[in-house]
Amino acid sequence: MGTGGAQLISLSPVRHRDDVLTGEGLLPVLPALRGLLPGGSLQRGSVVTAGSWGLLALALTAGAVADGAWCAVVGVPAIGVRAAVEAGLDLDRVLLVSEPGTSWPQVVASLLDGFDIVLLRPPDQPSAQLRRKLEAVARRHGSVLVVAGDWPGAQSRLLVTDTQWIGIGAGHGRLRARKAHVMASGRGAGERPRSAWLWLPGPDGSITTAGLADLGGTYLDDTERLASSG
Amino acid sequence: MTTHTSASQRVLVLRCPQWLDTADDGQERDSEQEEDSAAAARAFEPVVGVVAEFCPQVEVLRPGVCAIPTRGPARYFGGEAELAAKLAEAVCGAGFTCQAGVADGLFAAGLAARTGPTGMLVPAGEAREFLAGFPVGVLGLPELCELLPRLGIETLGQLASLPLAEAASRFGADGKLASRLARGLDPRPLIPRTPAADLSVQMEFDPPAEQSEPVIFAAKALADAMHDRLTAGGLACVRVQVAVRCSDGHEFSRLWRHDGLLSALAVAERVRWQLDGWQRDSNPSTAGITLLRLTPDQLVRATGRQLALWGDSVISDRVARAAMRVQALLGHDRAVRPSLAGGRRPADEVLLVPFGDAGEPLRPVDRPWPGRLPAPAPATVYPAPLAASVTDESGVTVSVSGRAELSAPPAWLATAGRPARAVASWAGPWPITEQWWDPRYVRRQARLQLITDDGNAWLAALQDGRWLIEASYD
Repeated sequence: MGTGGAQLISLSPVRHRDDVLTGEGLLPVLPALRGLLPGGSLQRGSVVTAGSWGLLALALTAGAVADGAWCAVVGVPAIGVRAAVEAGLDLDRVLLVSEPGTSWPQVVASLLDGFDIVLLRPPDQPSAQLRRKLEAVARRHGSVLVVAGDWPGAQSRLLVTDTQWIGIGAGHGRLRARKAHVMASGRGAGERPRSAWLWLPGPDGSITTAGLADLGGTYLDDTERLASSG
Repeated sequence: MTTHTSASQRVLVLRCPQWLDTADDGQERDSEQEEDSAAAARAFEPVVGVVAEFCPQVEVLRPGVCAIPTRGPARYFGGEAELAAKLAEAVCGAGFTCQAGVADGLFAAGLAARTGPTGMLVPAGEAREFLAGFPVGVLGLPELCELLPRLGIETLGQLASLPLAEAASRFGADGKLASRLARGLDPRPLIPRTPAADLSVQMEFDPPAEQSEPVIFAAKALADAMHDRLTAGGLACVRVQVAVRCSDGHEFSRLWRHDGLLSALAVAERVRWQLDGWQRDSNPSTAGITLLRLTPDQLVRATGRQLALWGDSVISDRVARAAMRVQALLGHDRAVRPSLAGGRRPADEVLLVPFGDAGEPLRPVDRPWPGRLPAPAPATVYPAPLAASVTDESGVTVSVSGRAELSAPPAWLATAGRPARAVASWAGPWPITEQWWDPRYVRRQARLQLITDDGNAWLAALQDGRWLIEASYD
């Protein structure tokens, strides 16, 4: 945010890549996330942050990977692979580089040229210069950098601001689902903050919009409803 | 098997003893010797050239030994004996000593070539009788050849008298192979080597490639092309020859065995090893690489398995190149593809296979794994669980009884190095006993799900009196 408007760079038209998705420089996202992103999708060449590492970061990549995009996950040795599958990622198009080491910027730059999405948890806080360099690489190759962490130059920022687990009490039940309030902000002119309640995850691990009925329910109601349905 | 049980093809084997003085036992050479054998293979080329004039379908079995099917040429030269004589004469005329043997099938023909000073001709249908007197050692199956004499089976004749199914069930795949060979049946049909250049693929680099990366990347595309050509012919190859020529004229090649298990990417990987090894061994000369050639070596009929493994990579070049660049930077096993395997602990559920390698889960996914976590799955699974403490209101560590009862409700959770957080809600314990049948691996655990007052959800496990955080649901 603090880097100022001088760094604002309009998205250059994305070159046609015959071996990956072509859809006009946009990568699809899960329906539940559409309302949170400008254009309802991930824009090729952009950087999106998802707060700290968690299911939201995985969820951001799931729609595109399910649609045929390739995703590399960098710097997350503790990735929950089953959670990724339940969120909708197709493991056939996922590459894990868990320990990129000190050369992680080079690793990320290499992956941005080839993979549609690079999901990065930076091992250390990158300098502004390094961030701009990687942003330029993403723009040049029309790929998307999803960052689980802080990235002041990001075009979109998503953040879980409130969270409520369902199905568990004092010594009974089990974790069944989580309602999460996700706030989104962008840096484009006229971007107003948006927010939504999501099942992150729902009882089957999938990520969907939490409807009004869900929001109205009390904690106990939810517990009973989910317990009886599960 | 059905195709193999029919009468074996008539085969002529020509062997030149001067190539074979060191290890002439008909056995496969060790991989360490393959570089020597590559040089020997080049020296053997003139002989192959002579034989190819009689029959272009020459198969080089190893340097010093080659084979041709006799059917066509024998008719042309007026009989198998005449063909063998003419061939031996031509090879001797080129300055090489040789022996020629003709029999049903490659194995018998190979032994026939070694019989007598000039080899012998075993008439059609008599291979089994011809073989009966040979000791089992000629099979070239070391383990089996040690075992059989101890069971009183000294000769191929005795082995052939055992029912085929029995040999297979008693001695496994080797036993089946040995039994087939002893009967004069071919273990694999001879696939004629039409000049292998037909199937080789190559790429020239102009200007010469100074770095190995473009060569490695080209190798992947070449391996794909070679695979396509082989597939079109219903063929697969047992080995791949990788030849690299430098701008100073130096050429070096190496044979890589793959037994049908290497993907195109894995071939590219071997090119990388070869280039690395070459650059390490020889002086890091400034000569760039001008040519890369892949030649399929030792053709066999393709089986579904080989095709599936060769052909399953629908990975685009851009993705492959990016992944291989990372592997070149960090190491082959540092860029991996995950897949789900069976297991009860979240960390056991994942199989990681280096990009470019083929892999199958060791533990099936579809089997029910009692004790596996129910959905939803945690987004963070610690490869090594974090040390933690779970305490009750009075600060005493919570324990779990043999009847899966907690000593007290958990009130505080502290993970290593962080201050304790109050537990807002919790569920469990769920006892898990893994591999109880084997005391070396037995692992008894009790699990809890905990939610701390900051909204985080954790999967905690008590094992050997210590609490561990296995995963978190963030």
